[in-house]
Amino acid sequence: MKFDVAVVGGGPAGLAAAYKLASAGFRVVVLERGREPGSKAMYGGRVYTHWLDKYLPEFRKAAIDRWVTRELVTFLTEDKAVTLETTTERGSFVTPLVSFTSWLARLSRDAGAQIVTEITVDQLARDERGRFVGVKSGSDFLRADYVIDAEGVNRLLLERAGIVERLKPETVAVGVKEVLKFESRKLLEERFGLGEEEGLAWTFAGYPTEYLPGGGFLYTYRDSVAIGVVMYLKSWDKLKTPVYDLVEKLRLHPYVAPYVRGAMLLEYGARMTPVVGINMAPPKFHYDGLLIVGDAAGFLLHTGVLIRGVDFAVASGVLAAEAIRESGDPSAEALSIYEKKLKSSFIYPQLEKFRNVDRILGDETLFRDLPIFATGVVNRYFTIDDKHRTLFEALRETSKETNVSLFKLLIYMARAVRNI
Amino acid sequence: MKFVVLTKAAVPLSSAIRIDPKTGTLVREGVPLTANVWDRDAVEFALEMRDRYGGEVVAISMAPPTGILALESLIGMGVDRAILASDRAFAGADTWATAHVLAKTIEKYVPDFDLVVTGEETIDSTTAHIGAQTASWLGVPYLYYVYNAEVRGRTLIAKRFLEDEGVDEVYELKMPAVISVLRSSQIPREVKLSRKLTAREHLQIVDNSKLGLDQDCVGLRGSPTMVVGMSPAAYPPRKRIVISGAPGEVAKKVAEVLRELGVVCAVSGLQ
Repeated sequence: MKFDVAVVGGGPAGLAAAYKLASAGFRVVVLERGREPGSKAMYGGRVYTHWLDKYLPEFRKAAIDRWVTRELVTFLTEDKAVTLETTTERGSFVTPLVSFTSWLARLSRDAGAQIVTEITVDQLARDERGRFVGVKSGSDFLRADYVIDAEGVNRLLLERAGIVERLKPETVAVGVKEVLKFESRKLLEERFGLGEEEGLAWTFAGYPTEYLPGGGFLYTYRDSVAIGVVMYLKSWDKLKTPVYDLVEKLRLHPYVAPYVRGAMLLEYGARMTPVVGINMAPPKFHYDGLLIVGDAAGFLLHTGVLIRGVDFAVASGVLAAEAIRESGDPSAEALSIYEKKLKSSFIYPQLEKFRNVDRILGDETLFRDLPIFATGVVNRYFTIDDKHRTLFEALRETSKETNVSLFKLLIYMARAVRNI
Repeated sequence: MKFVVLTKAAVPLSSAIRIDPKTGTLVREGVPLTANVWDRDAVEFALEMRDRYGGEVVAISMAPPTGILALESLIGMGVDRAILASDRAFAGADTWATAHVLAKTIEKYVPDFDLVVTGEETIDSTTAHIGAQTASWLGVPYLYYVYNAEVRGRTLIAKRFLEDEGVDEVYELKMPAVISVLRSSQIPREVKLSRKLTAREHLQIVDNSKLGLDQDCVGLRGSPTMVVGMSPAAYPPRKRIVISGAPGEVAKKVAEVLRELGVVCAVSGLQ
């Protein structure tokens, strides 16, 4: 059993690498734990396309459910909501991740990569000099000149190899979502006011996470919606209800319920997602015989409202493939070209730029104060009773009533706008 | 010895199936097709016997091409080769027509078989007909619920367990024979990467141009049983009982409610 390249994990990152390498004539095997590539894949709902056009322009032939043309951000409390809405150009699409991943798997297979499913890799294999020389699965040892670790956020193999420590709660969030199917595509479009290929991406802050760090989301697929909650694990001890109950509460919230009324629960799922971006990166992205891509490398950019995983995953897979092609040999020195590529691409600089975002987003005060304050002020401004308030009066009254210091909030906001 | 394992390689995952209350039909959308899990006992049983007596294990399935995945997985477990009988003409078959295809596939591709092994039943339709009907087509004896067997000459000495009667029985069958293996009686071995890598080489797909079966004996046309209607059993309404309080108190109340509903009996440990 000998391959040029063994890719661990059949997700967007691993498959993109496999596709590029197989196309270049390498003997590639992808080892995937799920029943089929994509069967364990899960995300909130969307893929940004700007960088895909550069790294994997073939994606335009993939199954795309809808292009996001409307973005909504809602501050939600028990009884109030303030929504910011904007229209957008077609810069991201929504589609079930399984569709995208299985399309990429077909592409890789057609290019000559062998994908073996329902196989768990237990260990990255090293030789006596510590170089990575393949993988171990059960009693089997598969030899490969290069190993690409695309195992995803829960990087058990990197842990076992001593490259990273166990994940800490502060570095990840847990996302739980439901997929609700509408009777028809048309009904969904009427509910949300969408055209045929148009889609909507909606994030919520406040109520969905019981005012703890995290948020809610809703994305429109072709004839279904994904609705869910992402909860920072560092606040887990303050949460009194299971996360899946939060999803149900969001679905039943009077502000959301009318949109999804009558839709049938088709599936539900959960996954861990990195929230500290580059802060959870392994010490290096390349070792003797080993490259690390996708979530396992911490390549996920998360700014609360904007979450980008797939474009980073695909691009890192493509760069790893390029690095292997150009390296000549699998030594760490030759593979350092991968690190150079990451740094001269968008991946590293953009993640570096948002390095501090989790400090803002992990702030518990912000997640309580901002939604309560914002909904309070707007609600008050639009309420005509004895008084007709100026915006300033609305601000002052709300501050008094909710005990949220306007000054403190302004400082938070100033920090936030610089960092997220 | 030559062992044949019959498996259903593409069954809808029954736990994920719902019935549309309006039309009374199965909602298949979003329901994954999977290998019949209870066949893994049969596969392990056959592999273990092969390891003991030598020979080969051939897995045979009648399924659409999606069944390839399940057969590859069985090859990964150690099955020597697999045959997928797949043809549009076979679609819509009941157990009789299915057993016909399976028996004819065995006769054509493993004519010198010694033992055919099946799982107890499938997770979707749970008729447990296939073993008996295949045996009938092949004209050989059969026995169900076997969990252990040994071979003496041309005789199979098989032990089986009958749950309702709570008895163990020992049978002697003249081989060739068909047996079904008691569910959960075996511990299926791991799927090996090294076997899966070359699984395709051990997999043969045959359609009816190769099997040459009479169109009137296969698929919907060859099926004497018809599902003429389906009425879903009503789900019992939820009780909507919410119990809160300290854990100990809650546990007591839960026990009380369960006892009242007749879900559990009063036992001394439950106060």
